[in-house]
Amino acid sequence: MVELSKFDLSARIGSLVLPYPTVALSGCYGSGAEFAPYVDLSRLGAVVLKSVTRRPRMGNSTPRIVHTPAGMLNAIGLQNPGIEWYLQHDVAKFAQTPCATIGSVAGFSVDDYAYVCERLAARSEIAAIELNISCPNVAHEGETFACDPELTARVVRAARATTDKPLIAKLSPNVTDIATIARSAVAAGADALAVVNTVRGMAIDIYQRKPRLGNVTGGLSGAAIRPIALLAVYEVARAVSVPIVGQGGIATASDALEFILAGASAVGVGTANFADPRAPMGILDGIVEYMTQQNVRRLRDLVGTANTGFANINQIEGDEG
Amino acid sequence: MRRFSDNPESFFKIWRKSLPVALASPISALVPTRILDRSEVARDVILLGVEAPELVKRVRPGHFAMALLPGGQAAGVALGIYEARGERCSLLFFLAGDRTRRLGALRVGDRLDLVAPLGNGFDCEGAERDVAIVAGGVGIASVLLPAQALLARGARVRLFYGARTAERLVEAERFAAEGCELLLATDDGSRGYNGVVTELLAREDAAEAVFACGPTPMLRAVSAYAQERNIPAQLSLEEAFGCGVGGCWGCVVPIVRTSAQAPSFPPSDADGSDVVHARVCVEGPVFRARELRW
Ligand SMILES: Cc1cc2nc3c(=O)[nH]c(=O)nc-3n(C[C@H](O)[C@H](O)[C@H](O)COP(=O)(O)OP(=O)(O)OC[C@H]3O[C@@H](n4cnc5c(N)ncnc54)[C@H](O)[C@@H]3O)c2cc1C
Ligand SMILES: Cc1cc2nc3c(=O)[nH]c(=O)nc-3n(C[C@H](O)[C@H](O)[C@H](O)COP(=O)(O)O)c2cc1C
Ligand code: FES
Repeated sequence: MVELSKFDLSARIGSLVLPYPTVALSGCYGSGAEFAPYVDLSRLGAVVLKSVTRRPRMGNSTPRIVHTPAGMLNAIGLQNPGIEWYLQHDVAKFAQTPCATIGSVAGFSVDDYAYVCERLAARSEIAAIELNISCPNVAHEGETFACDPELTARVVRAARATTDKPLIAKLSPNVTDIATIARSAVAAGADALAVVNTVRGMAIDIYQRKPRLGNVTGGLSGAAIRPIALLAVYEVARAVSVPIVGQGGIATASDALEFILAGASAVGVGTANFADPRAPMGILDGIVEYMTQQNVRRLRDLVGTANTGFANINQIEGDEG
Repeated sequence: MRRFSDNPESFFKIWRKSLPVALASPISALVPTRILDRSEVARDVILLGVEAPELVKRVRPGHFAMALLPGGQAAGVALGIYEARGERCSLLFFLAGDRTRRLGALRVGDRLDLVAPLGNGFDCEGAERDVAIVAGGVGIASVLLPAQALLARGARVRLFYGARTAERLVEAERFAAEGCELLLATDDGSRGYNGVVTELLAREDAAEAVFACGPTPMLRAVSAYAQERNIPAQLSLEEAFGCGVGGCWGCVVPIVRTSAQAPSFPPSDADGSDVVHARVCVEGPVFRARELRW
């Protein structure tokens, strides 16, 4: 293990300062506890919880997962016990997680988001709230919130009105111009952006002549989407100056560094945890090795340095503070 | 206070009911192993023996492992633990797709990390003296340990084993050598009964209990068979897995909420339905036929 204390690896998400930039992503690491027997969770910046909705949801029928050549498709369908049960039975347990716990909120109306966000953010176990406005796996009228700048703004504004805790808006790659959505989320009060959620996709069983996912369509994640996600981070970083949690196919330190150099202040690891639960810790070690090699002591000095013309907000903030 | 020594059998029954199944299974770990032996027991079927003395002590019949692919470029593969004795555990798998092929390419001496043991396993402590084990295809990998446990208790064990062809009836002789009676079936009639294994099961005398592992259509037929005759059946399910450890909810099956295997499940939907989606990797992979609602 490398010596971490000589480096400033902290990452800022609004008023929340994570000791490490590595975040385990929503729906991919449980509440952290499921992975505690295999890894040292105190070496993780934060864990983002599985998205929770106002009412209980049974989720989609199976198969919910199809492995693909460089990643996987999933269509879980936001199975969760609903916010009431969650607050009563689950949230207290998160106090024991040895890293920050970020809640994730999903919904079907602006009102849903505001309601669940308010209830969840009121709990001390929750350090920040991520608004999952980009889940591709739930059918509802019209489109995903994150596909429309106005809907994005309405959800973020409504959630903003309920809490002072850091708010992260999770954006979708399934849009023509992600920069517009990003600006809209930030103008409505988002403290940070998660870029990006899964890319829509599907697979067909040629022998049964049927789609392979129970839900027909799903979200593609893993290495297959990494270049798409990286470009999204690059473009969002040029459009807004709030911290970005870069994500999409990050499995190694060099993957993570690409996102950081493109403008991400923190990096999320989802699908790679299924290949190895130690992935986020390995990434952290690799980042430190790189910083040693490159003679960089503060991680935030790297953020956005490959994004030409990008004003580095994190550096400015860091110098002021 | 009840003490274990008063009545071991009923003590275990109560202990199992009062604890969520997830907690009743032993704590799993990330186990670094080394490959001791590798053989191709039939075309495209690999048997890998690994050195894992600590794991052997913790494995129970029906447990599985997540085998992490070297280099970590794809999700781990869920595999039943085939054998567990002394210093050695083994995995028996079919080269189905990308990931199993990568596992199959490993050589003696290579390292292989396992997350194991996982899952609830079969309950082999029941009072039944005559048990039918039904296995289809790769399902055979998950039933050797239960067969051994049942035989060790003095039970009669009949293995109803079905595959597409005679060549695919891998390891049948191994089960016979352990003391199982073999009842074989192939789709093409190249060995044993010509037809599906559940037909063969229905033609023979009923057992007192049924254990089964195999493809879902086979498990459904076993479940219907057992419920018609009121025979307790334990079914080890297969689903596509993400994490294998309860963190992604990718691997679910509908079960009755009040069953022992959904110990603290919330109501599933706003309509208050009594069916919930339980995780095959944590609440299973072994479910009682009467609890399933699939
Ligand atoms: C608890 C549990 C225990 C298990 N134990 C064992 C075991 O002991 N031994 C064992 O061999 N397996 C076992 N399995 C199954 C094993 O995990 C899977 O076979 C494995 O995940 C396959 O991975 P893969 O990447 O090699 O194949 P995949 O690429 O995931 O393919 C899986 C299957 O789908 C088929 N397929 C792939 N693409 C398509 C397509 N486009 N159209 C139609 N079909 C397609 C493949 O031919 C293959 O049969 C177990 C599973 C579970 C859940
Ligand atoms: C099985 C699975 C479940 C997921 N569930 C959620 C979820 O509930 N909420 C959410 O915001 N994102 C969810 N995601 C998306 C991930 O959090 C992440 O944004 C995405 O997978 C891209 O990162 P990756 O390529 O590292 O996995 C899920 C992804 C997977 C693979
Ligand atoms: S495979 Fe992830 S919860 Fe079962």
